[in-house]
Amino acid sequence: MRPLYLLREAMTNLRVHRGNVLIGIVTTAFTLVCFGVFVLLYLNLKNLTGTLQGDIEVVVYLDPGASEQVMSLVQKRLRTEPAAVALTFVSKEQALREFAEQFPEESLLLEGMDGNPLPASVVISLSPRFLDTESLGAFAERVKQLPGVTHVAYSQDWIDTLTLVVSYFELGAVVIGTILAVSTVTIIANTIRLSLYTRKEEIEILRLIGATGAFIAIPYVIEGTILGAVGGGLSLAVLKGIVEFFRLELSASGWFMGVEHMLPVFPKQVSFLLVMTGMLLGCGSSVLSVFGLMKVRN
Amino acid sequence: MIQLFHVSKFYDRCAALDDVSFRIDKGECVILTGPSGAGKTTLLKVIFGAEIPDTGQILVQNRNVARLRGRAIPYLRRTMGIVLQNFQLLPKKTVYENVVLPLVIQGVKRREARKRVVDVLTAVGMDHKQTIRTGVLSAGEQQRICIARAIVNSPILLLADEPTGNLDAALTVEIVELLKRIHAQGTTILLATHNQRVVEQMSGRVIHLQAGHVVIDEGATS
Ligand SMILES: Nc1ncnc2c1ncn2[C@@H]1O[C@H](COP(=O)(O)OP(=O)(O)O)[C@@H](O)[C@H]1O
Ligand SMILES: [Mg+2]
Repeated sequence: MRPLYLLREAMTNLRVHRGNVLIGIVTTAFTLVCFGVFVLLYLNLKNLTGTLQGDIEVVVYLDPGASEQVMSLVQKRLRTEPAAVALTFVSKEQALREFAEQFPEESLLLEGMDGNPLPASVVISLSPRFLDTESLGAFAERVKQLPGVTHVAYSQDWIDTLTLVVSYFELGAVVIGTILAVSTVTIIANTIRLSLYTRKEEIEILRLIGATGAFIAIPYVIEGTILGAVGGGLSLAVLKGIVEFFRLELSASGWFMGVEHMLPVFPKQVSFLLVMTGMLLGCGSSVLSVFGLMKVRN
Repeated sequence: MIQLFHVSKFYDRCAALDDVSFRIDKGECVILTGPSGAGKTTLLKVIFGAEIPDTGQILVQNRNVARLRGRAIPYLRRTMGIVLQNFQLLPKKTVYENVVLPLVIQGVKRREARKRVVDVLTAVGMDHKQTIRTGVLSAGEQQRICIARAIVNSPILLLADEPTGNLDAALTVEIVELLKRIHAQGTTILLATHNQRVVEQMSGRVIHLQAGHVVIDEGATS
């Protein structure tokens, strides 16, 4: 009888304060949409970094004078690197042919030289697991130490930039998340406080007939939790809409044609996270606003 | 049942209760009188734990109310029925919903609760209005509902603060008769009123308060 009563009371509160509840829901949803956009951007960016890094090639140049034995040793050694997903050996002759193909005019230059000045090289495709600059640098440094290796080339700049952007995103998410969470808690707490205020007399009556603080408070906590959960659900719908919109735009524009993994991702965990965060915000703020009820005597 | 030892309560250094001592035994009907502002309401409040006395001790059914922690107050109140002057009903809820509330709070099973509510509503002559919202009832009817709610969990003590304060003479008689019947069934009653007619009709031990002092206590035993 009691749980049913408490739930009914919460429902009545929600109904009576439709307007404020709606504001609370919209605020929660807004917060969570902002939060969700951030999380999604972050995840997509991270995903993108990973994807692009899968494509990134590290070129290990070998000493032109290195013997066949040394060269195969280097390759063997590189194959043991966990980061290397694919290895391609480019011999001196291949390098010359590619050079001639790519730069037909300059090939004359090479003809004037005796022998082939181009070094042999090994092209390594890197695993997306090596996301950050540090491990990439460490990897290059390690490879450089191998006998027969003259130098290692990779384009660091844009990886640096992306890594930096991702870390800014992390910082931004924390700052904006905190601000938004605080404002949401304030607004939900106010909605609940209004509920409390308009039912002041009722609360007095309940106290008079022996209701405990918890009994009086629970409907308001339920009210806040439902409000938060609905806000979370609403934000989920809005975010799905946004993501769907971008997905359509992107595939229509053909920019990323055929590159499925470049399209926005929306993991299930994010949906769960949003609704849970909404519920927690709602529950937390209502607990905050009914806290006084627990100790007052009369 | 109730024992007060040198109880004082001050509001901004102004004594609402000043060294009040008395004892009420089980089954008594005590009428607390005195002019407005004498401290009657304050006295009832310290008994049901809404105010903490500044000095003195109060024993209610062997519990020291003056020392009771806030969390224990609800359990104290479940052992007593409280009726106040302004009816304290939920106007948008039905008669039944109002009266059943103390039982809901205590987690009484639905069937048992229904039986008890019907019983007390019959006792106060309101069982035919169970599904009516209390907001539309007349003053006398509302006070009868309050009394029904106060006795629904069979308290051994009924505290009533000016229960007839908002009622005309005819309705006052009705309520007094109802309280007498409740007393006759064994409930201890402490009734505060400044209405001399009520004092006469109730016929019980009278404690007269004036400016926070007990000036007359007809049945003083200690
Ligand atoms: N909450 C309060 N704050 C300040 N003074 C109060 C308060 N409650 C009662 N008083 C004062 O205490 C005195 C006794 O009040 P009360 O117990 O209500 O008297 P009664 O019920 O006999 O009319 C009065 O002088 C009143 O003004
Ligand atoms: Mg009074």
